[in-house]
Amino acid sequence: MKRLQALALAEKRHIVGLVIAAVMIGLSILAQAYLIVDIVDQVFLKNASFESIVPTLGWLIFALVTRALFGYMSGRIGASLSEKAKRSLRLQLLDRYTSNPIETSLSGQSGKKVSVFMDAVDEVDAYFSQYWPQVIQTSIIPLLILVVVFSQHWISGVIMMVTAPFIPIFFIIIGIATQKKSEEQMEKMNQFSGKFLDVLQGLTTLKLYGRTEREAEAIEKSSLDFRDATMVVLKTAFLSGLMLEFISMLSTGVVALEVALQMVVWENLTFFSGFLILVLAPEYYLAIKDLGGAFHTGRGSMGAADRIFEALDAPDERLQWGDRTLMSRTPELELAEVSFAYEGGRFTLYPLSGVIPAGAHVALVGASGSGKTTILNVLSGLVKPDSGRVLVDGDPLETYTDSSWYDTIGYISQNPYLFAGTVADNIALGETADEASILEAATAAGLTDVIDQLPNGIHTELGEGGYGLSGGERQRLALARAFLKRPGIILFDEPTTGLDLVTEQIVRRSIDELSRDATLVTVAHRLHTIKQADAIWFVDEGRLIAQGTHDDLLSVPQYADLFTLQKGVRG
Amino acid sequence: MNSLWTITKWMMREKKDIVLSIFFGYVAGIAAVALFAASGYLVSRAGLVPPLYALMVPVVLIKLFGVVRASARYQERLASHRATFTILSELRVRFYRQLEPLVPSIFAKYRSGDLLARVVGDVESLQNYFLRVFYPPIILVLVFLSTIFFVTYFSVWVSVWILFGVFVTGFLIPAFFARVRAKHDRELRTLRGDLSSGMTEMMYGYRDLLLHHQLGRTRGELLEQSDRYAEAQKRDVTNQFFNSSLVVAASLLVSWGVLAIGAYLVVDGELNGLFLAMLIMMSLTAFENATPMAVFPGHFADSKQAADRLFEVIEPSEAIVMAESSRTDVVLETAPDVSFERVIYRYPDTFRDVLSDVDVTLRNGSKTVIVGPSGSGKSTLLQLLLAFVRPDSGEVRLGGHRVDDVTQASVWRHASVVLQENHFFFGTMRENLALAGDFSDNEMDAALASVRLGFSLDEPVLEKGANLSGGERQRLAIARALLKNGLLWILDEATSALDARTEADVFEEIFRQADEATLVMVSHRLTGLERFDHIIVMEGGRIVETGSYDELMQARGVFYGLKQIEQDIFA
Repeated sequence: MKRLQALALAEKRHIVGLVIAAVMIGLSILAQAYLIVDIVDQVFLKNASFESIVPTLGWLIFALVTRALFGYMSGRIGASLSEKAKRSLRLQLLDRYTSNPIETSLSGQSGKKVSVFMDAVDEVDAYFSQYWPQVIQTSIIPLLILVVVFSQHWISGVIMMVTAPFIPIFFIIIGIATQKKSEEQMEKMNQFSGKFLDVLQGLTTLKLYGRTEREAEAIEKSSLDFRDATMVVLKTAFLSGLMLEFISMLSTGVVALEVALQMVVWENLTFFSGFLILVLAPEYYLAIKDLGGAFHTGRGSMGAADRIFEALDAPDERLQWGDRTLMSRTPELELAEVSFAYEGGRFTLYPLSGVIPAGAHVALVGASGSGKTTILNVLSGLVKPDSGRVLVDGDPLETYTDSSWYDTIGYISQNPYLFAGTVADNIALGETADEASILEAATAAGLTDVIDQLPNGIHTELGEGGYGLSGGERQRLALARAFLKRPGIILFDEPTTGLDLVTEQIVRRSIDELSRDATLVTVAHRLHTIKQADAIWFVDEGRLIAQGTHDDLLSVPQYADLFTLQKGVRG
Repeated sequence: MNSLWTITKWMMREKKDIVLSIFFGYVAGIAAVALFAASGYLVSRAGLVPPLYALMVPVVLIKLFGVVRASARYQERLASHRATFTILSELRVRFYRQLEPLVPSIFAKYRSGDLLARVVGDVESLQNYFLRVFYPPIILVLVFLSTIFFVTYFSVWVSVWILFGVFVTGFLIPAFFARVRAKHDRELRTLRGDLSSGMTEMMYGYRDLLLHHQLGRTRGELLEQSDRYAEAQKRDVTNQFFNSSLVVAASLLVSWGVLAIGAYLVVDGELNGLFLAMLIMMSLTAFENATPMAVFPGHFADSKQAADRLFEVIEPSEAIVMAESSRTDVVLETAPDVSFERVIYRYPDTFRDVLSDVDVTLRNGSKTVIVGPSGSGKSTLLQLLLAFVRPDSGEVRLGGHRVDDVTQASVWRHASVVLQENHFFFGTMRENLALAGDFSDNEMDAALASVRLGFSLDEPVLEKGANLSGGERQRLAIARALLKNGLLWILDEATSALDARTEADVFEEIFRQADEATLVMVSHRLTGLERFDHIIVMEGGRIVETGSYDELMQARGVFYGLKQIEQDIFA
């Protein structure tokens, strides 16, 4: 709450604007009441002519329009305040996310982050656009009204002042009472409300077993159970509304009665003053009641704000880059006592050292979850090691510029991402390349037959809302990207499952071609690849256990196990 | 309008609570008007300094109206929320019934998994239809009609003026803004969708973007989108404030008119001045009922869009029900033979056939396995066999019947099916197994034992089987299929999450149970296929090889090649 408040208070001009609007609304409410009462007083008791009240009527129009106008202004300022706050929150989030989301996407948190970026930020809207304008209005308007009432008749003023605090007090008491009750009901309610989605998702299964009709009844029953559980909570909430209504009604009534008695019995109050107080009293209680509503919406934003600030407060893990340009196309790479642990301690890569000479072909071998991909990520500079260094031609990776480093590496993952855009866009990925060289890269990656099938060839839209490609075709697309870029260091995550025969051949041939004059580090899943490698790094549970050729390593028991374990035969 | 009209018709089954909401809403509205009328009269009366007893009646009335208003409002809220939830239940069941015939063929058109979540969300948002769209205008009209009727007794002119005011504030302004709102809503939806998918793309494609220097540009684009979205939101909110301020201004001006006309009539002697304060107080209060109409356009647009989207989804429902009713039920006495004759199939809105020219016959009681890389059309073959989708051309036959001529339900009655994703419902093991039919606990225990699951039948199962592992879910689905004991077995990668040993055991059971039955299975593994009569090898939507295991291995064709790759993959 504090940090959101700071965000709002930072916009001084907006806050001042809101205060001015609130004062103007308050003044026009007073003017409206005064003028209405004056007119009635004139024609009813003072027998004034219609002509004499025409100017007053004119002023009244002015007061009414002013009230509506500043109401609008207040809303406008709130909307603008909220726009500014949301922009700034999204900017900060984006900065966080563009710095180190590799870990995020690895731990499957992308969906959650997108939801913070979209939903949570939208949910804080009410705090700025409704809560703040209302808070400011409520702290000003009732005060203005009180001042005027006191000036007319102090007893009424005292009554209003004494009764007002009961409204927020009741809000709080009832809020606490209902919260407990609603928490009790919440679990029940979630259970019932999930039933509809649950049944819809299981519709195929239900139909296969011919059980659809029974579930229609179950939906109805759970919906009605949900209703009854919710009504229990709502009943108490509405009861609080009833109490508040009674308080403000009763207070208005007391004021009215008191005013009437003063006028008739003691005759020490004029019609003008009495009527004015009577007109102002409901405005006074209304403003206080509105604060309760605003408070409710403000509280609704708190959960969302917590999610946003949690994301912003996460430690900053980005690699700080240097200013030297990496000159060599295939530099020597060295990992020196590099370690890395994922947030929450799910996996740890223990200090690990090894050298990859320029142009060498290294295969990373190990069971799934042993840390092979993490090594690729550390090696590529996508994640920052917790300790140790990545040395490139003898110097720490972070002394080079990020762009010259990223220029030298290519990463071919198991499941390359398809961006919304054409096939050509997806191959070029922003590199300035003419169509001929894109086509050439596509041909080298064996994509020609796929492209020929597409309605607009290389200009067919892919990705969301466009056409999809199969796993083998995506892999070929990633190869085409590499053929266009021709990196000096290739990081390759070999597919764990069999692709079609054509793609298998193409991938093998293309990797051979690409790595002929380049360094190749492969997360290997194929025996063929291992046998061809210059060196194998064998990783087990986050530790580099052994290095050497395939035949060298067969003497390592865990390594040998890896090759016999998979031979379990079905049937 | 049509879609909302249908919703209204469905809604009308819940008459009792609807009538109660309207009744209490009306009483609450009219009591408030009466309350302020009475207090206006009271103060005027007091202004004439009458004897105290003359004030007794209005004083008692004020108290009475206050209590009536607060209680009626409480009852109204209870009734209207009860009605809303009951309507929600009704809508869920209705849409469930309409959606049911569409499953599973609808998933060929909307393959995104969020279709169901959207349906649930849209049905949910329709709860506002009654609460904020349907009944507030009815109460508005009733309260104003009564007020105008009452006012006519004092002055026809004032009541004509109020009528005009109601028309402007309650209908003209909201109707205009409803159109503006719908336009804004579409714009916001598009911008939000763009930003959200841009963000998702950034998160998932992060590595590729970073390595191709595209991160900076993507960040810039996202910021620009975020700003555009925030700005559009601001425009929308500002517009809503403008709308509500306009309603407030208009209703204040109407009250001003009441005052002006009233004052004129009082001066003219046509209206007793005693009633002027009462009339103006009535007008000010009555128009408070018009302010909820300011949110009417937004909720109306939302409801309309939700209803339109829902009806668009279920629109083909009727045609499907019609088509199904013209088909006959297939009755199988023995295991059916299966044949595909020159079958071609393409998913809606895609650019290539997923099956082209598939031609194969499987004799009754045979055991067949289909293999091939992902995207080669294996699962589609099973879907055609189960009549989930119907071929674009060619014929699928089951036991001599054209699958096109028989009802889906009758095919499923004979089938034991295990799909890639099987649904489990919130409940117990027993309840989930009972989908297969009425079985004794002993039979169910035996089924669980045969798939090597040691659960008791009372073991809880969470929504979607979330408390079970992938392998446990697959085995539970197989246990269900074993209990059903169909003449046709369809298994789509049903054991992909099991280890080799358990898989072999489970297969032993399936083959024992399905000894007589015709069995067709899709497998992504190539081990343990020796026991099948036929192996069908698919690539790119075509059958490229068929034969027994030994035949295919000797032929040294595609299957042999795939087998070599699989043996090459070790981890």
